[in-house]
Amino acid sequence: MSTRFDLYVARSSWLHRLDPRTKLGFVGVSFALLFLSSHLALLAAYLVAVHLLLWAARIPSDRIRWLWRQMWPLTLLILLLWPLFYPLGQPVLWAFWRVRITLPSLLQGLAAALRVDGLAFAVFVLLVSTDQARLVQGLVRLRMPFEWGLILAIALRYLPLLYSVYGTITDAQRARGWTAEQGSLPTRLRAYVPTLVALVIAALRLSDTLTLALAARGFRPGHRRTTYRSLHLRRTDWWCLAGLGLILVATIGLRLGLDW
Amino acid sequence: MAEPAIELYCCSYRYNADIPALREVSCTIPAGTWAALIGQNGSGKTTLAKLCNGLLRPDEGRVRILGQDIARQPVSKIARSVGYLFQNPDHQIFAPTVREELAFGLRNLDFPPVEIEGRIEEALALFSLEPYADQPPAVLGYGLRRQVAVASLFALRPPILILDEPTTGLHWGATQALLDRLAELHRAGHTVLLITHDMRLVAERAEWVLILHQGRLLTEGPPRELFAQPEMLARASLSPAPITRLAQRLRPRGMRGDSLTVEEFYREYTTLPVPFRGKARALP
Repeated sequence: MSTRFDLYVARSSWLHRLDPRTKLGFVGVSFALLFLSSHLALLAAYLVAVHLLLWAARIPSDRIRWLWRQMWPLTLLILLLWPLFYPLGQPVLWAFWRVRITLPSLLQGLAAALRVDGLAFAVFVLLVSTDQARLVQGLVRLRMPFEWGLILAIALRYLPLLYSVYGTITDAQRARGWTAEQGSLPTRLRAYVPTLVALVIAALRLSDTLTLALAARGFRPGHRRTTYRSLHLRRTDWWCLAGLGLILVATIGLRLGLDW
Repeated sequence: MAEPAIELYCCSYRYNADIPALREVSCTIPAGTWAALIGQNGSGKTTLAKLCNGLLRPDEGRVRILGQDIARQPVSKIARSVGYLFQNPDHQIFAPTVREELAFGLRNLDFPPVEIEGRIEEALALFSLEPYADQPPAVLGYGLRRQVAVASLFALRPPILILDEPTTGLHWGATQALLDRLAELHRAGHTVLLITHDMRLVAERAEWVLILHQGRLLTEGPPRELFAQPEMLARASLSPAPITRLAQRLRPRGMRGDSLTVEEFYREYTTLPVPFRGKARALP
């Protein structure tokens, strides 16, 4: 299969051993950094740093390539559309009829694309190094109701599965002579009915089965639960959280002081 | 020998750089053959089947269907020659009624409306789906959904039928009905390629068996010949059909050990001299 059913990669690296709350903190600080900053160098440096982090945690390179393969169409779309729809500032690099491509809009588009990739990689770091049980536990320890934590974790884990199911459904319809028609948007949307409806049915069936599987194993919403494994913030976690705090302060400082 | 329906020449395929799914597989399935593709999970059976209908294209090698190289043919064109039944019926069911589900493939392949109507009625009757014709297929039970998926393939009546685990989840009656329908098409000259783990089904129905192991074609041949080599089958984590295994264990009592069906076994067993029958002795 080319699509991952689960993003988690079992390893015994320092990143895997970190408490999920620390990694959730990393995601929060990453989001703050990426949304507060528009500086290209900072956004690019963030992506490089995340790749180094993944490399240090011995995450296989094919997983990282997989995420890039998923992200590149969106990245390309932002890079192409941003300069077209926000032609701000000077100098004008290219003009034709009403279309103007300016250098600032091009750079802004690049920053937006890097930001979106950065957001994806921030969540990827969390999911690739945290198994579902620990992730839910981390969220619950951060005062999220267990049911909500479970719903979120399941949603995050099942998105790639649904993507894979969609690929199979497309194959099944193509095997019956279906092709994605070209033409106007309504025509194309109509053409996708055989795949989208089948996906919705498969997703509903999957959620129904999952609900029954949870109930069959004694899951009761609102019921007080014990935990098999307990979470403890260790010294490494505190050091990481301190580092993340510093990064957050530096990001706010750079934004307010230097407008980065 | 009949014209080849499926020909693979040195076909290799990788889903990613590290794991080859198929490695230099070459095989020929003559037209009108009932073939079975067997092997353990992950041996490359579904990959090979998807090469035959163009859903996957080989990294190396060539695929010919009914004498035509399909390298440049779109899947929608190959679908006229090769019908493919996926393992899970929910991966194709989408239409508001069973009738429209059956019509989907026929419309895609531009059959005239009159013929579409005729084929739908025929498929509904063949699979006893008339009571459900105007019901949404998605709400039917699993067995019926599978019947709908198979019926939609039958409605197309392509010369080559590839069925991936078609009997999984079906009760005995539905399985026999499906196999009987397949047998009718086979008698009418259609080529059938069945992917299955059911050795009884292979023994009873297949004329030719291909065994895949770790992406390679381990061996191929008639089931009687292959089932006579349990050691070779064990290499691919397979074993002969139960009735063949029983016959093999009764070799010391005079059985040839190559029975493929209960009827064959019974015929041979009842011809053994009486002292070798009916004695309650421990089997070797």
